[in-house]
Amino acid sequence: MRAFALPMALRGFGRSLVAYGVVALLWIVASALIEGFGVFAHLRYIVELAAIIGLVGVGQTLAVIGGGIDLSVSAVITVAAIVLPMLSFAGDATGLGAIALTLLVAAAIGAVNGLGIGYLGLPPLIMTLAMATILQGLLVLIAGGSAVSVDNPALNWLGNTHVLGISATILLWAIVAAATLFWLHGTRAGALIYAIGTNPLTSLLSGVRVARVTLGLYVASGLCSGVAGLLLLAMNGQGYVGIGDPYLLSSIAAVVLGGTSILGGAGSYVGTIAGAVLLVTMTALITVVNASEGWRQVILGCLILGLLPLSGRDQSR
Amino acid sequence: MSAAGAILGARSVSKSFFGNPVLRDVSIALLPGRIHALLGENGAGKSTLINLLSGTLAPDAGDLEVDGDRVAALAPRDARRLGIAVVQQELSLAPHLSIAENIGLGAAPRRWGMIDYRGLAARVAALCTGVGLTEPPELPVGRLPLGRRQLVEIAKALFRRPRVLILDEPTSSLAAPDVAMLTALVRRLRDQGVAILYISHRLNEILDFCEHVTVLKDGAVTADRPLAGLDPLGLVRLMVGRDPQDLFPPYRAQATAETVLQTNGFRSGTASGIDLTLHRGEILGLGGLAGQGQEEFLLGLAGAAPARAAQFRMTTGAKPRTAPFAGVAEANAAGLAYVPADRKREGLLQPHSIRLNLLLPGFAAHPVQRRRRAAEAATSAELAGRFTIRGDLRRPVQALSGGNQQKVALAKWLPLAPSILLLNDPTRGVDVETKREIYLALRAMAAEGKAVLLLSSDTPELVHLCDRVMVFHDGRVAALLPHGAATEEAIVAAALGLAAPAAASVPA
Amino acid sequence: MSGTVRRRLYWAIQWRRNEGLGALGIVLLAAAVLYAVLFPGIFGAGALNKFVQGWFPTALVAAAETIVMLTGGIDLAVGPMVSLGSVVAASTMQSPLGTAGGVLATLALGIGVGSFVGWVVAVARYPAIIVTLAMSFVIRGVALLILPRPGGFVPHGLSDLLAGNRPVTALLLVLLVLAWKLYQATPLGLGLVAAGDNAEGAYRSGVGVTASRISAYAASGMLQALAGLYVAAQTGSGDPLIGEPLTLAAIAAAVLGGVSFLGGQGTLRGALAGSLLMSILINVMFFLRLPLVAQYVVQGAIIVVTVALPRLRAAARRPV
Repeated sequence: MRAFALPMALRGFGRSLVAYGVVALLWIVASALIEGFGVFAHLRYIVELAAIIGLVGVGQTLAVIGGGIDLSVSAVITVAAIVLPMLSFAGDATGLGAIALTLLVAAAIGAVNGLGIGYLGLPPLIMTLAMATILQGLLVLIAGGSAVSVDNPALNWLGNTHVLGISATILLWAIVAAATLFWLHGTRAGALIYAIGTNPLTSLLSGVRVARVTLGLYVASGLCSGVAGLLLLAMNGQGYVGIGDPYLLSSIAAVVLGGTSILGGAGSYVGTIAGAVLLVTMTALITVVNASEGWRQVILGCLILGLLPLSGRDQSR
Repeated sequence: MSAAGAILGARSVSKSFFGNPVLRDVSIALLPGRIHALLGENGAGKSTLINLLSGTLAPDAGDLEVDGDRVAALAPRDARRLGIAVVQQELSLAPHLSIAENIGLGAAPRRWGMIDYRGLAARVAALCTGVGLTEPPELPVGRLPLGRRQLVEIAKALFRRPRVLILDEPTSSLAAPDVAMLTALVRRLRDQGVAILYISHRLNEILDFCEHVTVLKDGAVTADRPLAGLDPLGLVRLMVGRDPQDLFPPYRAQATAETVLQTNGFRSGTASGIDLTLHRGEILGLGGLAGQGQEEFLLGLAGAAPARAAQFRMTTGAKPRTAPFAGVAEANAAGLAYVPADRKREGLLQPHSIRLNLLLPGFAAHPVQRRRRAAEAATSAELAGRFTIRGDLRRPVQALSGGNQQKVALAKWLPLAPSILLLNDPTRGVDVETKREIYLALRAMAAEGKAVLLLSSDTPELVHLCDRVMVFHDGRVAALLPHGAATEEAIVAAALGLAAPAAASVPA
Repeated sequence: MSGTVRRRLYWAIQWRRNEGLGALGIVLLAAAVLYAVLFPGIFGAGALNKFVQGWFPTALVAAAETIVMLTGGIDLAVGPMVSLGSVVAASTMQSPLGTAGGVLATLALGIGVGSFVGWVVAVARYPAIIVTLAMSFVIRGVALLILPRPGGFVPHGLSDLLAGNRPVTALLLVLLVLAWKLYQATPLGLGLVAAGDNAEGAYRSGVGVTASRISAYAASGMLQALAGLYVAAQTGSGDPLIGEPLTLAAIAAAVLGGVSFLGGQGTLRGALAGSLLMSILINVMFFLRLPLVAQYVVQGAIIVVTVALPRLRAAARRPV
């Protein structure tokens, strides 16, 4: 009865707290058992890795709350990582011009997704899956099989700068996360995302410009995946086809672990943050105990299955 | 309780949802060869009782009785085995399966473990003839209009050769000839010894051929008696517990001469050639049988369906609008608000709070703004107060009764201060008390100078509430009747396509 | 008169279900003609047999995906399941279990995993998309644990039987269609479509919705594992990642074939036609010497166009 009386947003919030609890527990236990795990630098490294998933998770969370899903995030990451060197031009001493162009490309891909889903009414799964497939093909055609390395001053700065011991990567994530949370919970437009994710027809008949909101979601998703791609490039120094591949499933996993319902209309980015950190922590632990790739996959899958109760059931029969 | 000889009965059953009691200590007995009416306002617990009797829900307390044996609960399969069949109000059909497969679904004859299509075809053919379904049996049900689907639903129940037949508002979407067919069919089944439970809001039907009535009010039985000696007013009194005379506020002509919306040759979906002149302060009713284009007309005006007009002029905004709206948002911005009939799927965000639902149109109109929780709380509290929606506004709207949900669906438009309200059957499935509140609210809004287009399937509403009534038939306006001339007879006659509204003999 | 009407009901229903497949049929025909023009040798028995063998795994997973989609679900673990099937087949057949034991083990694996997924979806009521996503991790992981890299062994006899010069594969395809026809005519088979179309209504009608759903996932899992077995027989060994591209291929074929994401709508024949079209296009691109990856672009474009076209047409037909 009590739980039922809680409003939707708060309920999502409560669910996401579970992921924070699991992270805290893992960190405490691992710090006690594994030497070097609890060191600040190591935990910072974990959060740094989580930043990539977290940034991709912004778009994924928005898409899922809005009643969809974005399966093209990994392809957009790869696009960003490969296209940046190509878009570098003379006279762009800071490298910011190339970055802006790259992000524009990423946003444009998101816009195509949003147009197809919002205005043509294509199922999000189909639209973004097809987009991923097309991009995958185009990338190989454009880049061939080889890795491209990059020398972009702004990216280098991003990869190497620390402010008060916190890396610029984490700060960037913090800024984007704050903006996302403000959008979702602090603006009317954010409430409309929950509305269209809950019931697009009711929303439309209530005057919500559903197609426009949808377009906004997928543009944001493309943009965030683009940013994540650039961060990844800054960390790796090289871009190659397939660089983004691991981030599709982990972004969805982070959303689900964070308690956002895959059915749309409920949840929060608050949970996705914890979900991203949880995923990276798990990976780190598995690496520490020297488990193989096979075990990593099994444990990850079981983790999602085990935390399914957080993600909400299908109420319809 | 006189349960002797009952095929199916309930003894002192109770059921609650989320802690709200829906049925309290209810008993009922269905006897073979008797047509038993179940009456009650919406929210009185009729659907829950049907679900208990048909095995879709299990009671919290009390027993069911089948042929004198006590059972704690039934599963739908048990119910089928025992010969209990329900004609659902919410259609239970699978739209992509054929008529024949739907009729046989879950009960089809088998041979070697597989569905015997030959045997199925034979039985389906006989049944379809019986209920007047002439479409080929291989046609997917999704291709049929709503009324024909209801016939499939009836054939499906009969296919199970029921000993107990529960009909939940079977006539709500049927045309008059089909109603007559159904009535005859039910009588025939009664004569064969089937126990029948009949739920309808059409009191005349109930008085016409039911023999016994159980009345539910707020989840408890208020009457369980033979129908003989009761008149419609008496029935309503049993349901409501008070006199129904003051259901409608006294009629007052409030319409002004000022035109707010005028359109000629309006066309949307199956509605075409519609001429409309709507005045400030007017309540204009839209009547007709279900699916005659009146709903599409309303949707077209609201910008929710593509529409075209030879002439269109809406003069409420700063500058007149001369073309139909291409979207709901646009229509809202110009001062038009549409309240859909289906609260669950179209009107409200069920799992979200009452507050968010009340605020949604305002958010949609001005999305690029910060949330200000204090102001939002004040706005929603004021709206709730005006429509007497009680309790915590942070509760999900699905926790409210149907009537209160309808009030939310209506109230949420007030912050936009619309000058024209388009209402699609706002009192469908709403209890009498709330109906009255809605009528008063509509009157008040008309008095404020708003224009109201009221589509209604409840003819008395059109008669008592509206300044003029447009009756639709076959996508066109069959009659435009001013208050006074718009009697129930005139409206029904026009709805059936009889040329002169005065034509007396109305097949009821 | 009424006798013939009765006998006709089944086929009349089947014929109605072809509606909407006309466009696909025309495109398929055009692609086949193009293929035959580019590569006249296809009509040789050997070449045709090889083509069918190349198509068969996609056809199997398309069928598997269709069954699940008809219930209103989706399976994102098809590819990993095929890989696991191939790994299990290749590693059991060289054990004392032998060939027959290996086939049985693979079948049991598919049915077991499918039933588990079906249970989680139908009884515990978690959304299929997320359950099968999680399962895809688990299944891929298990495949990698059994065989970290391609290995194992499938007896030559089996390879020769399934992927040799005899038209066994075509026979299997016919068997698949027949089995599906029989299954569809059982209450469970019709029930899975009804459950996808209107679950609440089907339940109230006395359809065993839960049993229908679980058996649908079990049947789907079995087909996926069999696809794995077949792939292992083709390559002679097991490969823990060989099935990866098949998840997308399965969904694409089903969507091309008119199977709806919402459940209850679609046919196996449509999905098979969809997978055939993709197989032909891949072959055509191969003969046109397009880079292998170009097929991704084309595949993606085909999906979008197929799904978008009816909507664009509907939009254009509006009575404005």
